[in-house]
Amino acid sequence: MNDTKEILTLAVGIGDSMLRCGAEIYRVEDSVVRILDEFGLEDSDVYVLSNGIFASANEKQEDACSVIRHVPLSATHLGKLTALNQLTRDICSHRCTLKEAEERLEQCRKIPNYSNGICLLACGLGCAAFTLLFGGRFPDGVYAFFVGVMEQIALLFCAKRKVSRFLTNVYVSLLVSILSLPAAFGFLPLLHDKVVIGTIMPLVPGIVFTTSIRDFYNGDYLSGTIHLIDALLTGLCIAVGVSLPLVLLRYLHILQFS
Amino acid sequence: MNYFIQFLIAMTATITFAILFSVPKQELPLCGLAGALEWVVYYAIVLKMKNVVLGSLTAAFVLTIFCRITAVLRQNPATVYFLPGIFPLVPGAGIYYTAYYLIFGKKELFAAKGLETFEIALAIVFGIIFGFSIPEALFHKREKNKKQEES
Repeated sequence: MNDTKEILTLAVGIGDSMLRCGAEIYRVEDSVVRILDEFGLEDSDVYVLSNGIFASANEKQEDACSVIRHVPLSATHLGKLTALNQLTRDICSHRCTLKEAEERLEQCRKIPNYSNGICLLACGLGCAAFTLLFGGRFPDGVYAFFVGVMEQIALLFCAKRKVSRFLTNVYVSLLVSILSLPAAFGFLPLLHDKVVIGTIMPLVPGIVFTTSIRDFYNGDYLSGTIHLIDALLTGLCIAVGVSLPLVLLRYLHILQFS
Repeated sequence: MNYFIQFLIAMTATITFAILFSVPKQELPLCGLAGALEWVVYYAIVLKMKNVVLGSLTAAFVLTIFCRITAVLRQNPATVYFLPGIFPLVPGAGIYYTAYYLIFGKKELFAAKGLETFEIALAIVFGIIFGFSIPEALFHKREKNKKQEES
């Protein structure tokens, strides 16, 4: 067995990509171990955290090797996750050689997001739908659509400029709050609270929160804690962004409690 | 009729969010169905029993089961259906009102809303945990039977 290093790199590479797309720890660990087993590396060990992977193989033999990867928390991409899962399945049912698997991993990494136009439309429609769902009326939904589109533009802009995740949340929720202000003063016959609640949905850390629960459930307490803290801080950032204009207006005695 | 409208809106909401998380095209309808089903369960319980916490618990449970079944049938990770589907339940409204009452110094309303939000979050957690604690084997038995029928 001379290709220990290739096998380990491939397995950890797949695990790395899965972790980036937002898979839970258990699934990543399971996939890496299965791939290593499949290629006949019996003496191996894998440890996965929510922002890193450590793996070693054949420690007591000549071809001993180990891989460490730092995996920063990044945007969820479920399309890549599906493709990587399929790849792992194919490897484990002997439908894929080592070389093929490496090529397919490269392809999986290149799966694009939906185009910006579709994302804008989706974000607008999503915000509108959530506004209606949480008790808004039809005009609120229409207004939320436009706020949602602006929000997605801001999100894409922040992603392009590589603004940190916390600042992105503060800025974008601030924008949402300011854009919804006309509704708060009664310039427009809208329900201010429903519009804000609907339009902050794309920012709300629902995904990190659920991932954290699943990590805890699987016994990965450290990763669960990392995700939970991430979710709490994100929530805090949104609250700060949304309430900043309201606080200001309140102390200027422009806005009354309703 | 009202349920049907709620179903459609929840479906739209879930599908659009699934697009934002780059779910592959062929899985979008199932994501939508997961979210819509869960929302209708929640809506019905809140309407009939006026209990938000029970509604969140049951809806999260139903969602988890649904996602696990679809995951086995479609040979995809349950996460793909699960993450977009959970969004209608997330207590965004609770967080907003809690912050709102805090700003305006309404301490009692703030405490009540904060507690309710925390309860809802816990209910979702337990709904998910109950859903995942059903042994994997039950879901796979069905898959095996299906494969035997096919071959």
